[in-house]
Amino acid sequence: MTIGRALPVFSIAFAIIYIASVEYNLALITYHPQIFKWGLLAEAPKEGPAMYWYGWLLTSALGAGAIAALSLALPAKPFDRIWSILVWVVPLVMIAVIMYILRVYFLR
Amino acid sequence: MFSFLLIVHGLLAVALLGALTHQAISVLWPARQRTGSFVSSLRSVPSATYTNAIIVLFIVTAIFGSIIYTEYRVSIRSTLRDYRLFIPEGSFELKEHFLSIGLGLLPAYWYYWRPSVAKDFSATRVIVTTLLAAIVWYAFITGHVLNDIRGFGS
Repeated sequence: MTIGRALPVFSIAFAIIYIASVEYNLALITYHPQIFKWGLLAEAPKEGPAMYWYGWLLTSALGAGAIAALSLALPAKPFDRIWSILVWVVPLVMIAVIMYILRVYFLR
Repeated sequence: MFSFLLIVHGLLAVALLGALTHQAISVLWPARQRTGSFVSSLRSVPSATYTNAIIVLFIVTAIFGSIIYTEYRVSIRSTLRDYRLFIPEGSFELKEHFLSIGLGLLPAYWYYWRPSVAKDFSATRVIVTTLLAAIVWYAFITGHVLNDIRGFGS
């Protein structure tokens, strides 16, 4: 499973890039649900709200895919062991980070 | 239309929740011997066979959720804000982000459930499966509560 070795790296990178995309609004696409229109990159709301979630997912998937592909250049030992720990530590940390970012909802 | 999609989304979520909970219990608390009791049966399901179904269910449920999400942003979120229901709104925002992290975790989840890999990284497999199960449980409960606030079909 040579290519499969990159899958944990994809998951690690995805979590990090996703949270960075949310915090800095790095959306590759924007959807305007009120007028059923898509836009490139992070556009300001037009009529009604703008949705960046799809864009954040796209940014994360492309970024994580590129990093995962690059990770194949690294040797299996010791990196497979490192990925097997980071693959759950990083998502847990990112969950904590997003909870911190959104804490304002719970402190009003 | 959105009511129909919401029902399908909910049914898919129930199936996903059941499969993932079974799998998580079977790896967290595996049965040494199947005695025939309900608990023993729950702990000794052939968990590896659930993996692909869980991935498909997760993705399809997320696709339905992503369609319904547009309606949430246009009409439901504004209602929550009008009534100053910040905690439900924030809980739903968290759901969106937790599920995104869960989506990104699926390739690793699939990898660590491969028979050739599972033996060497059994602890990782258990933790990743439990994390996914926790995400789905949170999403399910939050989605359900939020739907109850707004009221079905309103």
